[in-house]
Amino acid sequence: MADKSKLGMEFAPYTFEVEKGKIAEFAMAIYQKENKDQISPLYADREAAKKAGYKDIIAPPTFQTCFPLWAGGGIMPIVQELGINLIRLLHGEEEYNYLGAIHPGDIMTGQSKVVEMYDKEKKDKPGKFMEFTVIETEIRNQRGELVIKSRSTLVER
Amino acid sequence: MSKVIYFEDVHIGDAMPTFTSDPLTRTHLVRYAGASGDFNPLHHDETFVSMFGMPRVIAHGMLIMGMTSRAITEWIDNKCLKNFKVRFSGMTEPADLADFENTKARATITVTGTVVNKFVEGGENRIQCDIQAADALGGVKLTGSFIAALPSK
Repeated sequence: MADKSKLGMEFAPYTFEVEKGKIAEFAMAIYQKENKDQISPLYADREAAKKAGYKDIIAPPTFQTCFPLWAGGGIMPIVQELGINLIRLLHGEEEYNYLGAIHPGDIMTGQSKVVEMYDKEKKDKPGKFMEFTVIETEIRNQRGELVIKSRSTLVER
Repeated sequence: MSKVIYFEDVHIGDAMPTFTSDPLTRTHLVRYAGASGDFNPLHHDETFVSMFGMPRVIAHGMLIMGMTSRAITEWIDNKCLKNFKVRFSGMTEPADLADFENTKARATITVTGTVVNKFVEGGENRIQCDIQAADALGGVKLTGSFIAALPSK
């Protein structure tokens, strides 16, 4: 059961350096491809990205999901800190607001905060509740520019 | 990469181009685990999931969201994307290679979307499009929406 006293808690910030190879690897995974020639050139080819109006290779829209997983030791520290039962954990919702682009060489810092914790009664099981924990994250680059705001809803069924 | 789509050429009720994935295999899940850093054994270790009575591993929800993002950016240029949100509603099981023809439908993801709004915000011409990802058996994996700022002619 999530520990409701954690509402408002801020997690320790994490830092992630964006590497060109990681962007291509991530894009290949979401494209189900084994070769970077088979993905959008925006994710692997600097010249193609420049030609399309970008200053360099860009990251795919969900790339930032790997920042805390690689930089912050994975989901376990978050789950443990919040007292969430991993076996009951579901990813309920995910939302991104895009305010800028992410390029190779950028050093991203993410700061996450627990913004909502609430229960909802299960429709099919009166008296039983699902527990919701909402985490908002601000991700900035090395210039301090806010690039992405994300909102993740974790559910304990 | 997508062609330039102009605000004037998009209308409420328009469908975005339908995207259909390759059937997901366990190898795709392992590739995504490595790329994303999400090594929850739920997504690759059948001896783990069997402890909870699950017959097989399931795909990462974020992989399905990532595949959905591909569908969006094959229509709308990446730089136009302002907001993208999903609600996960169903699990996705990979195809079994030993019985591929009979199991590929549950692992083939189709992304569809409909333009539901056109509006001006922050001096930009924006569209909102509702989206859905579902398997070939009709099982819905996620629903959501995105907002894109489009250039004007």
